[in-house]
Amino acid sequence: MARVEFDDVSKVYDDGTRAVDRLDLEIADGEFMVLVGPSGCGKTTALRMVAGLEEISDGTVRIGERVVNGLTPKSRDIAMVFQSYALYPHLTVRDNIAFPLKIAKLPKDEIGRRVDEAARILDLEPYLKRKPRQLSGGQRQRVAMGRAIVRQPAAFLMDEPLSNLDAKLRVQMRADIKKIQSDIGTTTIYVTHDQVEAMTMGDRVAVMRKGELQQVAPPQELYDNPVNVFVAGFIGSPAMNMLEARIDRGGEGLVAHVGDSELALDAETLSRRPGLASYAGRDVVLGIRPEDLEDAALANGGPRLRGRVELREALGSEVLVHFAVAARQAVTEEMRELAEDIGDDRVLLDQPAEASLVGRFSPRTQVRENELVEVSVDRRSLHFFDAQTGLAIG
Amino acid sequence: MLRLPALTLRLAILSAFAVFFAVPVLWLILAPTKADSALVTASPLSFGSFHQLSLAWHHLDRFSDHIYRRWIYNSLYYALSATAITLAVSVPAGYGLAFGKFPGRRLLLSLTLVVMIIPAAALVLPIFLELNAMHLLGRSLSVILPFSFFPFGVYLAYIYYATALPPGLLDAARVDGCSEVQTFVRVALPLAKPVVALVFFFSFVADWNNFFLPLTVLADSNQYPIQVGLSDLLSSTPSFNPAQGGGGQTVDIFRPELALATLIAIVPVAIVFLVSQRALVRGLVGGAVKE
Amino acid sequence: MRGLRVPRGLPFVLPYLPFLIVFGIAPTIYALDLAFTNATGGWAWFHNFVRTFDDYRFVPAFKHILLYTSVWLAMLVVIVVGLALLLHGRANRVSSTFRFIFYMPGALAGAASVLVWLFMLDPVVSPGRFLLQHVLGATLFAQSIAPGNLPFIFAMIAFWTGAGGWIVVMYGALNTIPHDLEEAARIDGASPIQIALRLKLPLIRKWIAYMVILSFATGTQLFVEPQLVNEASLGLVPDTWSPNQLAYQLAFRYADFNGAAAIAVDLLFIGLVGAFLIVTRTGLFRTDD
Ligand SMILES: Nc1ncnc2c1ncn2[C@@H]1O[C@H](COP(=O)(O)OP(=O)(O)OP(=O)(O)O)[C@@H](O)[C@H]1O
Ligand SMILES: [Mg+2]
Repeated sequence: MARVEFDDVSKVYDDGTRAVDRLDLEIADGEFMVLVGPSGCGKTTALRMVAGLEEISDGTVRIGERVVNGLTPKSRDIAMVFQSYALYPHLTVRDNIAFPLKIAKLPKDEIGRRVDEAARILDLEPYLKRKPRQLSGGQRQRVAMGRAIVRQPAAFLMDEPLSNLDAKLRVQMRADIKKIQSDIGTTTIYVTHDQVEAMTMGDRVAVMRKGELQQVAPPQELYDNPVNVFVAGFIGSPAMNMLEARIDRGGEGLVAHVGDSELALDAETLSRRPGLASYAGRDVVLGIRPEDLEDAALANGGPRLRGRVELREALGSEVLVHFAVAARQAVTEEMRELAEDIGDDRVLLDQPAEASLVGRFSPRTQVRENELVEVSVDRRSLHFFDAQTGLAIG
Repeated sequence: MLRLPALTLRLAILSAFAVFFAVPVLWLILAPTKADSALVTASPLSFGSFHQLSLAWHHLDRFSDHIYRRWIYNSLYYALSATAITLAVSVPAGYGLAFGKFPGRRLLLSLTLVVMIIPAAALVLPIFLELNAMHLLGRSLSVILPFSFFPFGVYLAYIYYATALPPGLLDAARVDGCSEVQTFVRVALPLAKPVVALVFFFSFVADWNNFFLPLTVLADSNQYPIQVGLSDLLSSTPSFNPAQGGGGQTVDIFRPELALATLIAIVPVAIVFLVSQRALVRGLVGGAVKE
Repeated sequence: MRGLRVPRGLPFVLPYLPFLIVFGIAPTIYALDLAFTNATGGWAWFHNFVRTFDDYRFVPAFKHILLYTSVWLAMLVVIVVGLALLLHGRANRVSSTFRFIFYMPGALAGAASVLVWLFMLDPVVSPGRFLLQHVLGATLFAQSIAPGNLPFIFAMIAFWTGAGGWIVVMYGALNTIPHDLEEAARIDGASPIQIALRLKLPLIRKWIAYMVILSFATGTQLFVEPQLVNEASLGLVPDTWSPNQLAYQLAFRYADFNGAAAIAVDLLFIGLVGAFLIVTRTGLFRTDD
């Protein structure tokens, strides 16, 4: 077991793609670190550099105290679980799990003991004689896990190990993997683009974007205090609502003008975001989590937004209500990039005067589609970001 | 129903071709059971007797001091050795070309494709001169070594590895502690069975049937493979070479003997064909048809 | 600090290199070199090509294989594809029996196939003597193998041995067409013939091209068949019937290696141009890297 450290690590592929850009990240001994980010952000590349499957263009990777840059995968003492599982089709489940041990030339009885142990932990005992193609997806996933844990390596590397499973199995395996990891306490780097996995599994979560690390924090911290618009928008589902707002002095302190509505920022809000004071008279991006919006008819007090209901999605325990308010949607950097990519700036120019928001309402709400609704905003956890830099205003 | 005539027509066409394909084979199987004269008088697709068959074998075997056995042995020796070398060379080469990262990889691939399209016969003369310069002419190596160069095998192995072996599997093996050689031997090689069968088939059949090269590089009829031997035998058969009339009498090689010689000569290939029909299609079409 | 920097995969290719060089690249270059030099090694421009072209046996030999190759390829494309389409969609048992019957003569390639057909063409013993007499008008072996018949006879022999393998391959290729596609076409109102021609045929185009390429290249190299017929015909059929035979005779009877090489280069050139045309016209290797 060991800590794993990225020290100013970059990866430039032969074709010039800069897949990982100056990554600094330290994973403590025994920690479960999740790397998360949108597709193509360099998660897999980062992981493969630790594994030794991809050359490191710049910087150093350490496993334990050892710099591993020049080492082959063989000599790095890591185990990896692949998205495709990469089970050897010509070997039985037992031989698949035993494979790394045989390569390491462990004594036969030791191999047998360890494989049996792994099979017991993973409930694979009935399948040891089968070939991978005779297994279900979930069983294959377990075999891949088994092959990793028998080695008792310094670190586990997992690249979207659950993405080929159906939703229900995924929930279960999520819990199983987490439990196994905390039982054996092996340092783990887990790559996913599923933020629910990231939130539920990680001791800490590292959010990446276009090869750059955005924020590393425990899941709740990430959710409560995203450092920038990107992290705020990426973590949480449905995503945080982002609106253009203008901060002005008014009443007892500050008010945020959102379209033609006005949100008074009380002293409590301001004490949590002292930086806001210097933004008086400036534009900011206002972020509101869907759960901080509620049907005003069911809420007690708080500032209000008026909107028209566009869509109502009843999920049983809650109702997701999409509604349009007279305000401008904040143009996030992703949207700007998208517009540049497709060479179409209408996305930016033709900003409708209406912004579409999502609220997570109580199931008792009576709102109906195409009717007007009064929405109450919970001020306690509003997020503010600099309109230019996208950084959180603390 | 409108469909009935169409069905009948279809069956009729297929059957007509079946006759065309099957009758010569049937004739060949039956001919050695009859005496030369009976071939002319009896119905062409009738069975003679086992006695005649053993007589024909007796004559054939006696021809030129058991040289027929020698030819079959030579053919087996040349084709099997060359195919063994071909397999040993082309499976790793296909693997290296599919997953390797080294300068010149694409050049090698293109050269292989080009050489594959050049028919072997076009190069027989320069190869003859090369072998002459290497002082290999008249040695069995002069047949085996050129036979062992089988670019089509490399291409098949390359296509197979590139399309059917997930690169993730090799990564997994490396992470599991395999060296590059172990990755190949323990993962890529055991998974190559379908393509090994395919390469074996094409290489063995091509080598067994090759006529031009051994005819050119071998001088002693004791070294001939069966294909060249058959042509020797043909020129000793009086029915096709009346000039050989008297000779034919003394060596007892007539049409039944010639037919038997032909029949035995195709047995190894026929066996390979029988066992490989299904694997052939699965390997070729399944592996390479990826659109 | 090694490992990752060793050019990955190169060691696996190394054993192949000497073979590729010695028996693939070097002979090609050697043939080119011989073709453009004279017996003493001096540069000869196109002299060898002109010289062999002027040989009275040159033009007939090329005419022979031109006719032979065209007939053979036409037979292959039309009949192989036709039979594969007819077989596809038959009950499996029936279809596999037919495929097996078509396929087995493939075992009789090379000299064996010629010997069998020498018998088949001999009106005295042939099971098809009725056809020989009434279609070819031949009552003697020598009449069956009259020079005018030979390109067709060789094409038939080559077809007899080679077609079955290709039928099996085409049939396999047809089986990779998703069943849904065929059903969709049927629902769209296509008749079986329309489905065969409009749907199946284009989808196996690649394989047809592949078959034509390989067959074209081997077709121009005809050697063993005329060689054996020459032996069996008492010189009625010349021993320089095909260009490869002519090259062989030049090299080993007249020791004219330069002339022989010039003919080999002619054949090589024809083969490569043919292959190139077929490849570019059909995009055969487009998906490869
Ligand atoms: N072998 C390669 N050569 C060139 N560019 C590559 C290569 N592999 C990946 N890339 C590029 O590097 C970037 C990062 O890729 P990577 O696979 O690490 O993303 P990822 O975060 O794992 O995405 P996903 O969630 O889709 O798996 C992408 O832009 C990708 O196109
Ligand atoms: Mg990835």
